[in-house]
Amino acid sequence: MNYPVWDVAFGAGLLMALVAGLHVFISHFAVGGGLFLVLTERKARRNNDSQLLAWLKFHTRFFVLLTVVFGAVSGVGIWFTIGLISPTATSNLIHIYVWGWAIEWVFFFLEITAALLYLYGWDKLEPKVHEWFGWVYFITAFASMVVINGIITFMLTPGQWIATHQFWTGFFNPTYAPSLLFRFCISLALAGIYSLITASVQRDAALKARIVRWGALWTVPSLLLLPVFAWWYIRDIPPVLWASTRGAMPTGTHFALLACLLLGGTFLLALISLLRPTRLHLAFSLVLAVVAFGAMDSFEFVRESVRKPFIITNYLYANSLYFAAMPGDGGFTVDNLSSTGVLQTAKWVQNRNLTPANQVAAGREIFRVECESCHTTNSYRGVHQYIVKRQWDQDKLHAMLGVLFMMHNNVMPQFAGTDAELNALSAYLGSLQPMHPPPDLHPDGRAVFEQNCSMCHLARPDDHLFTDMPKDPQAAVAALASLPAMFPIMPDLKLSEDERRALVQWVNTQRPTQAAKGGN
Amino acid sequence: MFNPSMVPTPDPNPLPAPFWVFKLLLVVTFALHILAMNFMLGGALLALLARWRQKGSQFGTRIFSDVAKKVPVMMAATISLGIAPLLFVQVLYGQFFYTSSILVAWPWFLVLVLVVCAYYGFYFVSYQGERRPKAVGRVMLFSTTLVLIIGFIYTNNLTLSQVPAHWAQKYFSSTSGWDLNLSEPTLVPRYLHFMTAAVAVGGLYLVLIAWTKWKQDREYARAIFQLGGKAFLYATMAQVVIGFWFLFSLPKTLRMVFMGTDPLATALLCFGLVAALTTIFMMSAALKKDNIRLAALGVTSITALIVFSMSVMRELLRMAYLKPYYNPQQFAVQTQWSPFLIFLGLFVAGGVFWFVMLKRYGLFSRTKPVQP
Repeated sequence: MNYPVWDVAFGAGLLMALVAGLHVFISHFAVGGGLFLVLTERKARRNNDSQLLAWLKFHTRFFVLLTVVFGAVSGVGIWFTIGLISPTATSNLIHIYVWGWAIEWVFFFLEITAALLYLYGWDKLEPKVHEWFGWVYFITAFASMVVINGIITFMLTPGQWIATHQFWTGFFNPTYAPSLLFRFCISLALAGIYSLITASVQRDAALKARIVRWGALWTVPSLLLLPVFAWWYIRDIPPVLWASTRGAMPTGTHFALLACLLLGGTFLLALISLLRPTRLHLAFSLVLAVVAFGAMDSFEFVRESVRKPFIITNYLYANSLYFAAMPGDGGFTVDNLSSTGVLQTAKWVQNRNLTPANQVAAGREIFRVECESCHTTNSYRGVHQYIVKRQWDQDKLHAMLGVLFMMHNNVMPQFAGTDAELNALSAYLGSLQPMHPPPDLHPDGRAVFEQNCSMCHLARPDDHLFTDMPKDPQAAVAALASLPAMFPIMPDLKLSEDERRALVQWVNTQRPTQAAKGGN
Repeated sequence: MFNPSMVPTPDPNPLPAPFWVFKLLLVVTFALHILAMNFMLGGALLALLARWRQKGSQFGTRIFSDVAKKVPVMMAATISLGIAPLLFVQVLYGQFFYTSSILVAWPWFLVLVLVVCAYYGFYFVSYQGERRPKAVGRVMLFSTTLVLIIGFIYTNNLTLSQVPAHWAQKYFSSTSGWDLNLSEPTLVPRYLHFMTAAVAVGGLYLVLIAWTKWKQDREYARAIFQLGGKAFLYATMAQVVIGFWFLFSLPKTLRMVFMGTDPLATALLCFGLVAALTTIFMMSAALKKDNIRLAALGVTSITALIVFSMSVMRELLRMAYLKPYYNPQQFAVQTQWSPFLIFLGLFVAGGVFWFVMLKRYGLFSRTKPVQP
């Protein structure tokens, strides 16, 4: 709201995922692939393997065309894109880490130069000098990773930086080391996976088999090591954030599962490639690459999901509001907005004052400045579909917006604004598709749970809903009549008696029986 | 009416080094970026010109393929050297730069797509030159056109970043980011100013290429020299006219910055004008007398000075534009000494090492590198 919000109809987040997703898959290859080039060259020269050398020359061109062109441009692309979608976060990251970025730039410049000279040097340079360029390339590429890793991990686990604001404290943050090793492992695995692509188009079966086996030496051990570093990485992520992958947040949970499945798939496919290495087909190597791409991007999705509602943990929310007030924050904090109002504080809105006539229009603007960094109305993370699925009318919307911050393991920030602004936002969301569900005489308890409780509660016996609700059905139905009376931060949902009865009945069927408990 | 309070507040973090450090880095790295861009774009345009003007003649095609082979490398240099000014402009002017970028978001985003397409096109030409002589001309034209479009989008965004008074009307008429800054009176002259410079400096790039071949292959080198030298000559003549057009398209108060109000800006403009006229006479003499040293050393050094002084003038113009909304004193400064010194050390060492790499590659040696 400090900056204008770019209305991307299909979702700004999706655009970001597209650019970043492609970039990471290539940039990690750029690091591991560099080491692969130089070590393969050494191996080929030691064994006097001219065929392998000829393939490597071909592979170098593939490598450079992919990393120097697409990898480099998509890397700049991430900058372009986050600047458009999260200018406040970008501005913060630039000011906090400008020297980090600048150091990375020096390495990047040397890296690109070395890559081009390595490519063009195949026919010109003495072997030793050529290999020297390969080493220069790898070392500078790895150095770029060493720098960028500090800034990316800072966003998830800034650690003591929040208190000290010291460059190195944030840079060498709690997940720095495991993340670097984890990513380096990925990059080594990708070096092997990419080598299969150019290997698969080789006519000489024996050569193809040699490359496949050599490639597997990069992929298989790296993938076996990966879970170790993943475990270390996860261990250093605060458990409350990591809980998002354990059912509390659908996106985080789904992608964590997907990452594991696709990682397993990558491993299996890499092993399968060894069964008949002489007959490796291009299609197979591409399938393997796509599965690996899915695994890698799922991991990045998980990393971004567990960070929610923040873009820089405990410092800046995804919607560009600061977590705590500080000098120079421009008033863009939840507390300030709740007292002065979002429409009065935001710079890029037209409806400054609320009137009965402009409720929907002003609500639309509040939605734009507060929600659109992650949500759309009808597309990616579209709120319209949530509202229809849960049949929320305007009253329920109003109640739910009041407890946003409790939903899905606190992955959303608190609504920031005055009560009148909350009304306007509900009016706008209610106008997307007005809901007037007829009173259901025989409601289904599970459906009542899904529509009213599942945003904050899990359908699990250890969830508060199941442990804290009175066991006696009559008492439970009575207690649910006023949720805030039961627990002050609960939304005032005003469930009908039929709904409450059905909910209680369903909840009681989900509770472990005494016998089962005794059995445990 | 525009409300100045719409200009976003910079984030709360202090500048991690004094203001002037970033300013210096911005000016220097921008000049380097623009030189590489000029070599790339000017080289591509002149390669195309050589191909069409001397169709059928041996040299036309040869110049085309020789220059075209270098264009992808210059593209890599343009992008790599562009990252630094992109970083430093965000350090100093983020609140203006992000905002204007968002107003022209889709064209700005499309720059990435265009760069990738142009880049692959240039590589195609460089690799397929001999095998598909017909296709490469068209691909080269395609890629060069994309680069011209990219430059136009840049000019749109950067001119818009300097006029916050135009933002509100633009944003509130559409928030979808499908916009440009076409109503800006300085847009066309400013864009042409940059593109014409690209042709001139691209011409010098050809002169430098000719110089490296001067001893071994005089006739061919002379053909490149003539093409590059003339391109420089005509482009610089045109630039004098376009430069004045640009100057007079500026609002009066800003124009006066270069015509008396600001002594440094005025001095730089005078220097630029005199230096440009000097290079015209020098190049014309060099071409007539077949004196490539005069062109390759004399004209090139003066032009390099002009490019750096233009980079400073560009900064002064931006400051003049932003005067009502921007005050360098608004930033708190808290120098992060250790990362800053590491950067400086690496920057210098990296520069030296870069030359070591080129030397080991054999770029400066007269003898051809050893064939494996």
